[in-house]
Amino acid sequence: MNLTTENTAIVLDSTADLPDIADRFPNWRVVPLYVRFGDESLRDGVDTSAADFYERLRSSTVFPTTSQPTPADFLACYEEVSAYERILSLHVSARVSGTFESAERAAAELGDGRVHAIDTETASASIAMLALAIQRRLARGTSDEEIDALVERYLRERGLLFTVDTLEFLQRGGRIGKAAAFAGTLLQVKPILSIQEGEVVPVKRVRGERKAFAALAAALETETEDEPAYRFGVAHAAAPERAAELEALVRERRPRAVLELVVTLGAVIGAHAGPGTLALFWFRDGD
Amino acid sequence: MNGKSDLELVHGLVGAALASLEASRSRIDDLNVYPVPDGDTGTNLTLTVRAVVDGLGSVEVGDRPALAHAVARAALMGARGNSGVILSQIVRGVADVLAQSTDGIDPALTARALRGASDAAYRAVRRPVEGTMLSVIRELAEEAERRAGEPESVGELLIQLVRHGEEAVARTPEQLDVLREAGVVDAGGAGLVELLRGLASAVSGQALPAAPPAEAPAGVKAIHLDPSRYRYCTVFVVEGEALDLDGLEAQLEQLGDSLVVVGDATALKVHVHTDDPGSALSLGTAVGTIDGVEIANMHEQQERRERRLSLVPPTRSRTGVVAVVAGEGNRRLFETLAEPVGTIRIVAGGPTANPSTAELVAAIEELNAEEAVLLPNNSNVRLAADHAAERARLPAAVAPTESIPAGLAALVAYDGTRGAAENAADMAAAADAVATGEITRAVRAVELNGLAISDGDWLGLADGEPVAGGDDFAEVTLEVVGRLLAEPRALLTLLTGAESPPLDGLVERLTAAHPGLEVEVHEGGQPHYQLLLGAE
Repeated sequence: MNLTTENTAIVLDSTADLPDIADRFPNWRVVPLYVRFGDESLRDGVDTSAADFYERLRSSTVFPTTSQPTPADFLACYEEVSAYERILSLHVSARVSGTFESAERAAAELGDGRVHAIDTETASASIAMLALAIQRRLARGTSDEEIDALVERYLRERGLLFTVDTLEFLQRGGRIGKAAAFAGTLLQVKPILSIQEGEVVPVKRVRGERKAFAALAAALETETEDEPAYRFGVAHAAAPERAAELEALVRERRPRAVLELVVTLGAVIGAHAGPGTLALFWFRDGD
Repeated sequence: MNGKSDLELVHGLVGAALASLEASRSRIDDLNVYPVPDGDTGTNLTLTVRAVVDGLGSVEVGDRPALAHAVARAALMGARGNSGVILSQIVRGVADVLAQSTDGIDPALTARALRGASDAAYRAVRRPVEGTMLSVIRELAEEAERRAGEPESVGELLIQLVRHGEEAVARTPEQLDVLREAGVVDAGGAGLVELLRGLASAVSGQALPAAPPAEAPAGVKAIHLDPSRYRYCTVFVVEGEALDLDGLEAQLEQLGDSLVVVGDATALKVHVHTDDPGSALSLGTAVGTIDGVEIANMHEQQERRERRLSLVPPTRSRTGVVAVVAGEGNRRLFETLAEPVGTIRIVAGGPTANPSTAELVAAIEELNAEEAVLLPNNSNVRLAADHAAERARLPAAVAPTESIPAGLAALVAYDGTRGAAENAADMAAAADAVATGEITRAVRAVELNGLAISDGDWLGLADGEPVAGGDDFAEVTLEVVGRLLAEPRALLTLLTGAESPPLDGLVERLTAAHPGLEVEVHEGGQPHYQLLLGAE
């Protein structure tokens, strides 16, 4: 079957941090996760914008928690795009969220094999970058086999590094995995983290914001090349100045590459990473 | 007593119970291994009591039986999970007894209410198990009956019951193997005691000792217990007329386990663990209308809990650190930096207190680790550290740090899961990237490197060389910092000594002089040096 933007829909969840994307691509949809303050439940990116969320986080006395979309939420979305013959449903790492499982259950419920749910084993702009790679192929016509091969290569090759202001948010949310050991010190230690095999893992720790930024800059130098096939993403949580600085660095050091996305972490990812998070994503894709 | 004061009293009591449960909610969640280790007992009990609080909000002032009925119904409708359903029956048992009395509440009535609660709870469960909420409520009823003759107030009785309940909870591991293997007490029972603690403290007006501190982490065994073989925890309410509790229960039993069906002919609450929640709901809709449906994927809850418990750091490190440190504040900085990623022993040191080789060897061998890295943090300790590394029974390597700030920088690179040699190399490299300075008092008039310094003046050193002197502490410090920043640096750490003068405005002057520099100040507490500086 020849897959095109006419016959194939892409469904993301809100952790891809692209709230308005359906406006840009008519074949894209976003299913929101939920963020909860006490007993109040808000749809990520729908009932609360990233800006509202960080504002509220500053004043809230309760710590936000998050929960995945229900299978019914996914089912409703899949029905909305039922005119499409293929639905590629791309989701946040199943190691940190039940979202993928919810999508799979909805796909099974639909039962006609049209929905392919994909565990991207990552989060945020990284998911969006895979979706964009798929969209480029849909635009020229592609096949299930080619998409499968792309996803497989993406899981192996995509890179990301991020730093958080404090590990408190990752700890409270239980999403910290092996990075747990990095917590707790009187000195301002900034952890440098990555996501491997779907899990948050520690890379190193440094002292101070400047050095954390320098660690991302060093990764840009050692892990990537300046060539047109390289694609970059930058994401931040309530840290626009540092994101702008990282964006400028990518443009300066990798002028031939493509800076695809600069996004704000939405409420759900923000609730787990915390304000001050800065992330760099990359994926080599010549298509 | 009139209807209004009854309602106010109940409001106050339930609110106190809720607050007490809320406070222990996550502790109880983490205890939860029975009947399935899904880690939500504390949450379920809290939500159940909250439903009663919410329900009371819409209760009209009426007679006592009407109030009792409203409370029991709110608990039933709001019951979450197995523990919540059992709690709803305990509430119902209490409410039924109190509804029949017209007087105030005395110890004898309290005992009868608890007996009613215990009976109702036992009736709700098909196969009652000792070492659970059930045995705890029964023991509370028995104790209340034993004490009913004593001349004490209800408040005093409740305080005694909290104590007794704590003992009953502590005994649950003896009664139930699954708890003993997991090294925990029963979560439902513990929650019941917290609820009682809230009541007792509201009635007696005494603040009761807080809940026992968190138990030792439940341990690896607890999180590897077999979860329920069924996937979905399914809870709903059936409302109708002439509902047949036993008939519905018999049908539901075909679908799964952990079955609890409670209520009366007009409303039944169902809790069942099943792979087929749809069929369970259909059984409900066949005989009435269903409401309050909740279906939770327990395997997912189980995974979440494993993740939470996996935050416990490993107790033994491959490589530990022995660091020679002067000053109480510095000792804490070293400890908090090392402990999250491994283990550390501090040996007291300082310019006039260099530790011996034997002291260092002893510290290495006390480490809970297989290998060791030594941080001498002073050039005069280097030799003793080298000797200690050779003589210690475990493989040891020296990262030759020459100052406290260099030692801290080295420790940022430490990772207890790697070997000593690897660690020492990375730690030494991290220390090399630090320029260090010291501010001290000149003990005699000297001229060093062309600097004339009077006795008692401030003396500033950069990387061991005197570079500044004078009677103005801030000026000398600024001069030293200027030297340290000859090469661009991102972070300046200031460690104040035991006899430091106040740093009035110094940090502001430093950041003004060096825009973009991050400055961190900590109390180091070291003797002799009023300030230690590290720039990296």
